[in-house]
Amino acid sequence: MTNDTQFDAIVVGSGITGGWAAKELTEAGLTVLMVERGRNIEHQTGYATELKAPWEMPFRGQGDAALYAWEYPVQMLNRHFNEFTEGHFVNDAEQPYQKAPGKDFDWFRSYQLGGRSLTWGRQCYRWSDYDFGANKRDGFGADWPIRYADLAPWYDKVEDFVGVSGAAEGLPQLPDGRFLPAMELNCVEQAVRERIRAKYPDRVMTIGRTANLTEARPEQGRAHCQYRSICARGCSYGAYFSTQSATLPAAKKTGRLKVVTDAQVHKVDYDAKTGRVTGVRWIDTRTGEHKVAYARMVFLNAGAFNSVHLMLNSASEAMPRGLANSSGVLGTHIVDHANTMAAMAVMPGFEGRTSFGNRPTGIVIPRFRNLDRLDGDGFTRGYSFQGGALQGTWTRGKRMGGIGKDYKDALHQIGPWTMVLVVFADSMPRASNRLMLSRRTDPRGVRQLEIAFEHGKEEMAALADAHREATAMLTAAGGHVIMGFDRPGHGGTSIHEMGGARMGWDPKTSVLNRMSQAHDIPNLFVTDGAQMSSSACQNPSLTYMALTARACAAAVSMLKEGVI
Amino acid sequence: MSESRSGWNRRDFTAGAALLAMALGIPAAGVKFTDPGGEDLPSDRQRNLIADVSDLVIPPSDTPGAKDVGVGDFVVLALAHGLSGTRTPMAAGMVTAALEPFRRRDGSLRHLPWLEHMLDRAAGGDFLRHDRAERTRLLAALDAEAFAQGALPSPWTAIKGLILTGYYTSEAGGSQELRYELVPGKWEWDIPLVPGMRAFSSDWTAVDFG
Repeated sequence: MTNDTQFDAIVVGSGITGGWAAKELTEAGLTVLMVERGRNIEHQTGYATELKAPWEMPFRGQGDAALYAWEYPVQMLNRHFNEFTEGHFVNDAEQPYQKAPGKDFDWFRSYQLGGRSLTWGRQCYRWSDYDFGANKRDGFGADWPIRYADLAPWYDKVEDFVGVSGAAEGLPQLPDGRFLPAMELNCVEQAVRERIRAKYPDRVMTIGRTANLTEARPEQGRAHCQYRSICARGCSYGAYFSTQSATLPAAKKTGRLKVVTDAQVHKVDYDAKTGRVTGVRWIDTRTGEHKVAYARMVFLNAGAFNSVHLMLNSASEAMPRGLANSSGVLGTHIVDHANTMAAMAVMPGFEGRTSFGNRPTGIVIPRFRNLDRLDGDGFTRGYSFQGGALQGTWTRGKRMGGIGKDYKDALHQIGPWTMVLVVFADSMPRASNRLMLSRRTDPRGVRQLEIAFEHGKEEMAALADAHREATAMLTAAGGHVIMGFDRPGHGGTSIHEMGGARMGWDPKTSVLNRMSQAHDIPNLFVTDGAQMSSSACQNPSLTYMALTARACAAAVSMLKEGVI
Repeated sequence: MSESRSGWNRRDFTAGAALLAMALGIPAAGVKFTDPGGEDLPSDRQRNLIADVSDLVIPPSDTPGAKDVGVGDFVVLALAHGLSGTRTPMAAGMVTAALEPFRRRDGSLRHLPWLEHMLDRAAGGDFLRHDRAERTRLLAALDAEAFAQGALPSPWTAIKGLILTGYYTSEAGGSQELRYELVPGKWEWDIPLVPGMRAFSSDWTAVDFG
C-alpha cells in the first residue's frame, strides 16, 4: 500500500457484513480500509472472560446491577448480557440515542472490532420467495427488486465459508442450505417433532440451523464446537462464525486490508461535481482527533440503524435531506420482528433421560401461516417459533418453598423437562416507523439518532395466533402449558432491526437498487440490514451476508469496467 | 438514557458501596464507587445473621454449607448493589405496614433490617440466641408463609434467591454439590438419567430458563 489515506474501497463497520465486504473486496484485489468505531478485540487472546468460572467473577457472573442500572440500562435487558459478556456490549451512557415521545425501542449494540458478530445468536436461515414476494403480495412496503433465484448462489457461497450445521427438510418456505451435519434434537424434541407431525402434517420442527461448526475447518484455523454454549464471551476455538474467527483472517491474508479501530465515522464525503462519494471522516475516540480517508467506493456496514444514521448525518448542500436521499424515504419503513415467549410447558414422560453438553442452538418450527393460502386471522405474513426442551438446574429452587438438607438434596437433582416456544413474527414495513436525527448530540458532538417505532395490529394478530398455536402444539405433544404471552416486547427485543435504506425498483421510492447500490450515487453501497425492504420472520444475518457478497462482486466488476 | 429505570440514583447508592467492599474483602476491581459512608452498611449482627440464615437454607452435608463458602457476605454485597431487583422501588400496593419502616427514600426495601426484625420478632427476642433446631423451625415458618399459595409477595423470596445464587456460583456449590464442566467437548443427546446424578451448574440455558 503506497498511501495510508487512499484506498480502492472503504468499509464502515466490522461486524457480520463489514467482515464479508472486507474479505470479498480484498480477495478481488482491492485495497481496503475497514473503519470500526469500537475498540480492538483480538481473536482468542482478547476474550478476557471466556475461561472464567462464576466464582472468579466479582459478582459471580450476574454482574453489578448498580452499574448496569446507570450505564447499561438498555443492554442489561438482553438475555445474553451478563458479567462475562458486558465488555461485548455498548455502554448506553456513552452511546446515547433518543426514542420518539411515547415510543420505546431497546437498541442492543456491540461497538467493537467484530461488532455483533461476537454476540449474535448464530441462527442462519435462507429466505424464500414467500418473503421476497411479500411486499408485492399484500401491498405493505416497496416490492423487493430481487427474488430467491437471485440470491441462491450467494447463499451457497456464504454457507460454504461460514459453516452452518442443520438438517435438510425440503421446505419451500425455508429453503435448505449447504449444511454441515446437524446437531441432534434431544429426546423430548424428537418426540415433540413426531407428535406435531402426526397432528399437523404441514408443520415441521427441526434443529436450529446455526453457524457453529460440527466439523473442524483446519484451513480456517477453526475447531469444532465444544458444546459450551457461552459463545457471546468469544470462542478461542473459532467454532462459531465471527469476523475475528473467519472473515478478518481471510481479508488480512491478502495483505491488502488496513483496519482502524476507535474511529467513529460521522460523515461520508460527497462530491456534487462528480456525483460520487470520495471518502469518510471520523473522530478518533481516544484522542478526539478528526481524520479522513479517501476511496474509489464506500461500503456502509455499520449496522442497519447506524448506516442510516451516518447517511442522515452526511447531508450536504447538494443532498440536504441526507446522503442518497433524493427519494425522501431514507430512515423510513424500519422493521423488527415482533417477539415473545408464546408458550412454556412441562413435558412429562421423559424422567429417566437426560443429555450431556450444552448445545448452542435450539429448535425451529418454520412458518406455516399465509403460505399458498391466506389463512392468517388479521395478518397476511408469517411467524415461526424457536426454542427447545431443557431440564432445570438449581435456579428452580428460587420458586420452591423449603430449607435445609432435603431442600439442598432436591436441588442437586437434574430438574424436570420443560419446553419453550418463542415466536418471531413478520414486522410490517410502515412509513411511520422511522429513524431521524435528534437535536441532541453524543459526547463527541455528533447528532444522535432518534428512533420512532411501534408494532401494529398485524403483529398483534400474528402473536395472538402464535400463542394459540404454540399452546395447542405443546398440548398435543403431551405437555402441560404453564405460561405464555401474546404481546410483543418493545421494538428491538428480537435484535433484528432492519430497513431504513430499502432496496427497490424505483429511485423515487427507494434508496438502493437491486445490487445494494445507492440509486443516487453509483459508488456507494449499503449491504447491512439497512437495505432490507421487509423483515420476513427468519433471522436475517445470513441474507445480509449473501447480499454483501453479491454486491461486492457487482462493485468489483463495475470498478474494473470503469463504470464507478 | 441517563435516567435509571429503577428510580434509584447514584447518590443514594454510592453511600456505602466502597466501604462495604473493603469490609467484605471483595476485590476492588469489582466495585468502582468512591463515596463511602451511609445507611446501607450492615451491622455486624446483620452480617452474622445473614451468614447464619444462609446456612440454615443450605446446610453442610457431604459438601460444604453456605456459611463455609461465605454466602452471607455475597448476599450483603448483592443487596447493596441491587441484584435481582432488590433496589427496585416497591409497588404502591405491596407496601404493607410491616414493610413501611424498612422503606428507603427511593421506595426500595432495606432487606437485611427487615429480615432481622422479622426473625427477632418470631423468636420473641434475639433470634441468634436460639439453638440451630429452633432457628431452623423459625426460618422454615417464615419460608412457608412466603411460598404459600396465594401469599402476598415477600422480600424473603429475593433474599432466598440470592442465597442460592451465592451458594451455587461458589466453587464448592458449583463444582462439588453440582457438576461444573466448562468444556463438555461433545453433545450426547439422549443418555440415561441414573438416580443420584447431579445437575450441572454450567448448563447456562437451564440456569436462565430452568
